[in-house]
Amino acid sequence: MDERTLDAIIARHDAPAGRLLGILGEIQNQEGYVSRETLEMLSEKVGVRISQLYGLATFYSYFTLRPVGDHVITICMGTACHVKGAVAILEALEGLLGIKSDVTDDGKLSITTIDRKFTVEIARCFGACSMAPVLRIDGNLYGYATPEDLPGILGEYGWKP
Amino acid sequence: MIQQEIPGKPITVTINGKEYRANEGEILLSVAIREKIEIPHLCYEASLDPYGACRLCMVEVVRKGKREMATSCTLRAADGLEVLTDTPEIVKHRSILFELYLAEAPKSDVIRDMAARYGVTRTRFLKRIEQGDPLGNKCVLCGLCVRACSEIMGAGAINFINRGPYTVVNTPYYAPSRDCFGCGACVRVCPTNAIEMEDAGAERVMKSWSGTRVPLSPCECCGRYYAPRELSASVLARLDTPLKEEIARLCPECRGKHIAREEILAKHGGSAKHA
Amino acid sequence: MRIVSAADMEKVSRSGLRKIRPEKPRIAVGLATCGIAVGGMRVYDRIKEIIGEENPDIELARVGCIGYCREEPLVNITIPGKPLVILHRVTPGDAEEIVRAVEKGEVPVEKALCRIPLWDHITGCTQEYGAGFDGIPRYEDVPFFSHQKKVILRNSGLINPEQIDEYIAIGGYAAALKALSGMAPEAIIDEVEKSGLRGRGGAGFPTGLKWRIARNAEGDRKFVICNADEGDPGAYMNRNEMESDPHMVLEGMLIGAYAIGVSEGLIYIRAEYPLAIRRLQTAIGQAREYGLLGKDIFGTGFSFDIGIATGAGAFVCGESTALVASIEGRTGRPHPRPPRLTDPGGGLFGYPTDLNNVESWCNIPVIISKGSKWYAGIGAKGNSGTKVFSLVGKVDRVGLVEVPLGTSLNTIVFTIGNGGAGNKKVKAVQTGGPSGGCIPARLFDTPVDYESLNRIGSIMGSGGIVVMDEDTDMVDIARYFINFAASESCGKCVPCREGLKHTLLILNKILAKKATKKDLEILSDLTETIVATSLCGLGQTAPNPVLTTLAYFRDEYDALVNP
Repeated sequence: MDERTLDAIIARHDAPAGRLLGILGEIQNQEGYVSRETLEMLSEKVGVRISQLYGLATFYSYFTLRPVGDHVITICMGTACHVKGAVAILEALEGLLGIKSDVTDDGKLSITTIDRKFTVEIARCFGACSMAPVLRIDGNLYGYATPEDLPGILGEYGWKP
Repeated sequence: MIQQEIPGKPITVTINGKEYRANEGEILLSVAIREKIEIPHLCYEASLDPYGACRLCMVEVVRKGKREMATSCTLRAADGLEVLTDTPEIVKHRSILFELYLAEAPKSDVIRDMAARYGVTRTRFLKRIEQGDPLGNKCVLCGLCVRACSEIMGAGAINFINRGPYTVVNTPYYAPSRDCFGCGACVRVCPTNAIEMEDAGAERVMKSWSGTRVPLSPCECCGRYYAPRELSASVLARLDTPLKEEIARLCPECRGKHIAREEILAKHGGSAKHA
Repeated sequence: MRIVSAADMEKVSRSGLRKIRPEKPRIAVGLATCGIAVGGMRVYDRIKEIIGEENPDIELARVGCIGYCREEPLVNITIPGKPLVILHRVTPGDAEEIVRAVEKGEVPVEKALCRIPLWDHITGCTQEYGAGFDGIPRYEDVPFFSHQKKVILRNSGLINPEQIDEYIAIGGYAAALKALSGMAPEAIIDEVEKSGLRGRGGAGFPTGLKWRIARNAEGDRKFVICNADEGDPGAYMNRNEMESDPHMVLEGMLIGAYAIGVSEGLIYIRAEYPLAIRRLQTAIGQAREYGLLGKDIFGTGFSFDIGIATGAGAFVCGESTALVASIEGRTGRPHPRPPRLTDPGGGLFGYPTDLNNVESWCNIPVIISKGSKWYAGIGAKGNSGTKVFSLVGKVDRVGLVEVPLGTSLNTIVFTIGNGGAGNKKVKAVQTGGPSGGCIPARLFDTPVDYESLNRIGSIMGSGGIVVMDEDTDMVDIARYFINFAASESCGKCVPCREGLKHTLLILNKILAKKATKKDLEILSDLTETIVATSLCGLGQTAPNPVLTTLAYFRDEYDALVNP
């Protein structure tokens, strides 16, 4: 992230309440992940130790520290989605994209395909439980998802079998 | 936050049926420690706010005929407070907790000895053995190192990383820290001796903290490396009454010899030994 | 302009009324997150395309969600003089037909779900839409709606959440005006106490009492916070409350702040609710423009403003001390109490803080407007008022259900929900999210109130009700919840961090058919210790799904375990 963009983000969060998570949230939203360079720059600018910022970035699930692919697929693993078959969706996605989505040793799940086109992550709940199971790609929600729908949905984002 | 409390008024508390004197507001665990009553604990440190993480210091508070469990590190002494430290309920839960500790820090003899002291010598839970664990499979995540580094020393070089079962303590990005000045407070405060630090020549190596290396200063007299350079300089700069130049950068031994020599010269004007 | 008096309010109200009930037909598309996710935006855009950008004959508007999620996208048609009609399962392909009908003063009857001749907005106005369209079922006769009582969701799906004038038109901010210019703070707290309102976040602590404690705490600077973290998976009531009617949250906080004596408010909202965040920001901006937030509100000298702090994906931040830590820019690791949030030294930045759930705040304008006696008359003894529940999972009619407290699970799941989806037999429900328990169908005569649910091993929680059917594996459900709790654990204390980890390992072993009876014993001992020794509510309640499934579905465990 270039310095000017970061300065603008910091300027939008001048109240102390909710400041750090607000800034980190905007960085995550804009870049798709929180890079080391950006975090170190932020540490200088706001005068907060890098160990504290790194602690925040690794504690909260909303932040990813790994670069993401062109499109981010987030599968909801909430209770309603689980009961209506979210696990099957995840497994089908693994098959279609050729990835194995194991939770890594930092507890987060963020796997990117080798061609860097798709990243798969999980979410605890989008609050769209009535349409379980729910899938989100680049901010667009897809409800009542079935494994059979996946090739069509992925196709909208340039996936080819 | 550092505890800076003014002692409250003298009161009486009852522990295991016996009365003890305490000051109002005093932390009950510290009263027990003072009175040599054994309550196991790992994450309590008198100079830091109560943390409540290890859960070993639990006691039962007796109030109006009812009994409720509470951590004694967060319990404040008030007149008439009555607690019990070894009820069957406490023993039952404490044993399970020790089994969890034995599984979590299988290489720690401190944990092994403490658990044995309370009757727990084996664990039914899967032991965590990590090859190359920088904390030697002895860390119980009590948080004392993190808090000492941040709140007492003001360095903030290490912190908790991740959360839940993935929690570890280390430097950000597992890279050598630029904020560590090698004071060793973490080593001192760790209850399970999990943190490794070694002086190697002109550097202090924080072996547990991703190979962080801190330069040491040499004694101006004997040349031995005796203190972290940055820490030494900052301490010297903060003294209300500055040290004399000729001893400021001497190791403790040489400093002692120098001061003794000066005292003797001042007293005798020559040798103390020979006429 | 600033609204300072009842006369000012009246002026804005009239302007808002002209938007809700224009002198021409109004087509309003339901656009909350779910509605948008099933294509609501495409319906809106297609209708806009057909009627044109600024059509003098038809008004196009956006509204929130009335809660019948299974039937979305929903579209409301208001023909002057005729009942409001709700169309369901609307697709962009229907747009043409809808517009043609509306142009003729009619509605496409086959797409109609129900009609509303009259609607009580509770806080000051009843909309009389008109008579007609007798062929369409009335709202009261729709099985999903007939046993519900809309108090909190009184405006959702009917007004435009991004138009403060519409909120004021149906009586919004009148309660705040009444409170700030006509009632003493103590009197407001009295009313809230007498109403019997209990915390809607799940703990059920009496709200009035909490306010009183906060008011009496020493110190001049205090905070009020709205807990909009809504971490329970399966629960989305608060999301809809914020997306469909954000002003009721703000009005509730305004009244509460005045009662407690606070000038700074915060809404802590999960980052995964971007639309709710935007709608709240818009609402706050509009309230400020009218002087309803900011300095010298209603000319009373009382000042209050609200900021928004976002969460970042941590269920544990629903716990009050972790929530406060999160706002302060720290990790969400709870700290032991005392001090409580309301104590000096215990709250945000060390100041006494009153924290209430979104839905608790939403009840406040109703209590002030209708009075504590009216409010206490709804619900059951010791459990007054209504509660919004999200009825999801393997149930036929999925959606948001608002009923008086004390309504039975039977009514909710079978009468309102119509039982299992796809004709499957309902086996159990899970209430209270990961901190709650699984309740078998044979106990569905249990009234949904705080104490009754506690007695059978579960909790009310924030209101999620997940229905499970004959195909659901209850041991898998227990494992699902423990996995959730273990990964959401902050990791500070050993019983929760290590205990849940090993609980998960044992459940995995059971599901892999590799466990013995001894393992069930260890499971029992371990979960008891986690409950008894964990530092905060997350650990203390995490074993509940295991404990309840062991109690009620022991046979499923036994089938998997070797002797």
